[in-house]
Amino acid sequence: MEIQPILLALRRSKTGAILVAAQVALTLAIVCNALFVVKARLATVDRPSGVAEDEVFQIQYAAAGEIEDRKGMQQADIQALRAIPGVKEVAAVNSFPVSSSGWGMGVTRDGKPGNEIPTGVYFSGESFVKAMGLHLVAGRDFNDSEVREVDDRTDTRVAADVVIVSAQVARKLFKNEQDAIGKTIYQGSGKEAQPMRIVGVVDTLLSSSAPAIDEYAHSTFIWPIRYLGATAHYAVRAEPAQRARVMKDAEKALSALRPDRVLINLHDMQEIKFRRYRHERAGANMLIAVTIGLLLVTASGIVGVASLWVSQRRKQIGVRRALGARRRDIVRYFVTENILITTVGIAAGLAMAVGLNLFLVSKLELARLPAVYLVGGMIAVWALGLVAVLGPAWRAAAVPPAIATRSA
Amino acid sequence: MFTYYLALGIRHLRRNPILTALIVVTLAVGVAASMATLTVLRAMSADPIPGKSDRLFTPNLDNRPDDGSSQDPRPPDQLTYRDAIALKNAKPGLRKSAVMRISPVVAPSRADVKPFFGDGISVHADFFKMMDVPFIEGGPWSEADDARGGHVVVLRESMAERLFGDANPIGKTLRLDTYDATVTGVVSDRWEPLPRFYRLVSGPPPFRGVEDLFIPWTTAIANQMQPQGNVNCFSDPPPDAPPGYEGLKQSECVWIQFWVELASPSDAPAYKDFLDGYVAEQRKLGRFPLPNNNRLYDVKGWLDVNKIVSKDTRLQTYLAFGFLLVCLVNCIGLLLAKFTARSGEIGVRRALGAPRRAVFKQYLVESGVVGLVGGLAGLGLTFASLWFLRKQSEEFAVLAKMDWVMLGITLAVAVLSSLLAGLLPTWRACQVQPALQLKSQ
Repeated sequence: MEIQPILLALRRSKTGAILVAAQVALTLAIVCNALFVVKARLATVDRPSGVAEDEVFQIQYAAAGEIEDRKGMQQADIQALRAIPGVKEVAAVNSFPVSSSGWGMGVTRDGKPGNEIPTGVYFSGESFVKAMGLHLVAGRDFNDSEVREVDDRTDTRVAADVVIVSAQVARKLFKNEQDAIGKTIYQGSGKEAQPMRIVGVVDTLLSSSAPAIDEYAHSTFIWPIRYLGATAHYAVRAEPAQRARVMKDAEKALSALRPDRVLINLHDMQEIKFRRYRHERAGANMLIAVTIGLLLVTASGIVGVASLWVSQRRKQIGVRRALGARRRDIVRYFVTENILITTVGIAAGLAMAVGLNLFLVSKLELARLPAVYLVGGMIAVWALGLVAVLGPAWRAAAVPPAIATRSA
Repeated sequence: MFTYYLALGIRHLRRNPILTALIVVTLAVGVAASMATLTVLRAMSADPIPGKSDRLFTPNLDNRPDDGSSQDPRPPDQLTYRDAIALKNAKPGLRKSAVMRISPVVAPSRADVKPFFGDGISVHADFFKMMDVPFIEGGPWSEADDARGGHVVVLRESMAERLFGDANPIGKTLRLDTYDATVTGVVSDRWEPLPRFYRLVSGPPPFRGVEDLFIPWTTAIANQMQPQGNVNCFSDPPPDAPPGYEGLKQSECVWIQFWVELASPSDAPAYKDFLDGYVAEQRKLGRFPLPNNNRLYDVKGWLDVNKIVSKDTRLQTYLAFGFLLVCLVNCIGLLLAKFTARSGEIGVRRALGAPRRAVFKQYLVESGVVGLVGGLAGLGLTFASLWFLRKQSEEFAVLAKMDWVMLGITLAVAVLSSLLAGLLPTWRACQVQPALQLKSQ
């Protein structure tokens, strides 16, 4: 393939070539970074919560007056919920994974200040593990004798002697999940540190805030505490196929029990996730739209400049054809020319992609761009250039040799 | 001549219709993407209380225990009950108000409205003057009501309508939790500072939710209303502390936000000295074991330190402007193609005596016309994207709104970008050699 004449021709039409190369470079730089961010967002949205997502739902009532017998209320509610056909497990809970509202505490291995791991705290007088459908990877669930009762009107401390931690907490503090069983860790640090013994480890359990940064998103523990607060908050696990009906029945049953409270939450787990990640999804969609727009605009730019060159060079093409060049040669000429330009653009674009990423890292604490995105972006932009130039190149090949004989 | 060029530019839009359409669409898409994100970013970083934001301050006092557990250099972001009382009663500061979100059960006298949880906020009477809250009926409660925990309430316009219909609500009563409160004023629905800087720490996100009722903070405390927001306790209560609400009031837990208005921004250092002095006094009583680490933030500083503008929004804005840049480069190429096709025409004009300057003007005007059309299309697309964004979430519903300034910026950006994009092709058009063009015709 004779590159020499192409380079000579390019020297005469530098502007168009530079424009295309610049556009390719900018597109590559932006697309790599945008897709990297999209991937991170979607990974956050898709990560498992640990909860049996197609079985569990949340139902919560707030008191509209003073409720004296909170334990009685809880027991009556649980009984009513268990009586609904299709219900597998019920637990009164303090908060719900991924629901954006919950409790947080610091956990340390030795009770010494300074090393607290921020941890989301769940508790229930029933089996939180069973009601949420969590998976125990080591140890056991709580037994009934371990359950403590805490009434927020009379008790100032909320604590228990035993705890089930998430695998993330276990691995942060100990060698592995098995190793954590039986060990004592502390809630808080310093004078107020409260010891608690690990009896079990669940593999995955997202905190209620479910932050996008993974480091502490799965850092959670469960206490066997029957918390007697003013709100009535339950996790119900039902047969997947019957859940929608069970939810309706649950509302009817609990609303009929007492008139002095108001339903504030009734959501299945998918809905809870959907609401929590609305922002991540919106952000990802916006970036996907920008990426598609960019690729289209760049493709149209390549088509535009290539078409311009074809119309400018009609006469030369005719001459080449008249001198014996085949259509294939003409197509090959334009395709090669385009590949040369896009390659230069890609080379510049790689540098710009890394530069843009470094800028975003410093400004927005984004992660470093993995090389895979550069390679992927490179191939995508290259293919885009190739496809975009085919149309104009085809039209160039259609120029009849006879045009060489006409004046202009 | 300008109007003639303008007419020519408009007429030439129809030449090369596909090319023109491509330029207009490219420009419009680029403008819409960047302007939609810029609108949101601008709304997020807006000054919620212009003209006064440098005179309103929120103090943070470091009352954490001295056991090494406090790694964060920043002190707690709310105050204890005791400190809120002390700062309110102290002399310095023009106006002062505690802020605590509450959610009392509202039981109106109307039979057709069921009891519900109100979105409320408890403040001092100073709050309304301090925050320039506009009243449409009545006014704030008196300072005497602050002092005695008066059973009074100020309603938001929409809430007053919901509770009392068209009747004048002033002087009427409604039941809050366990007592009857008299309405003293109605706040206009237009009062909607974004972000809601006065209750940034706790409760709903800074761009969402609005308070429907205001009651005296002292009344909320006296009736033991639960604070709707974070209660942060850095140290456990002493063993002899009473349980429940009384214990919370005496504890070192922080749960109350506090705002103070100073006569001028230059009074801030003096107020900061007063805070340090107050903390030093308290230290003698056995509180505040850590060395002085108190902060005084003005509105802007408070928004910054709470990172109100999300990183995602910034990222999207950067990338959207990158997109606009690509669109511009693309427009340069397309304009170049459009103008090059008319080399012959330019040659004739030049041969007939038109100076380069005239050609330059004509083609720049033509770029401007294309830019204007692209800008108008972009404006339409921007409105469409904002409309789409508003459907996405409650926060976007208030943030993604176009105002006159953004409208102007959008059009200016569109025309400027097309002029910028037109510069190179126009300059190239001027370089056309008349002789060469005439010969090859």
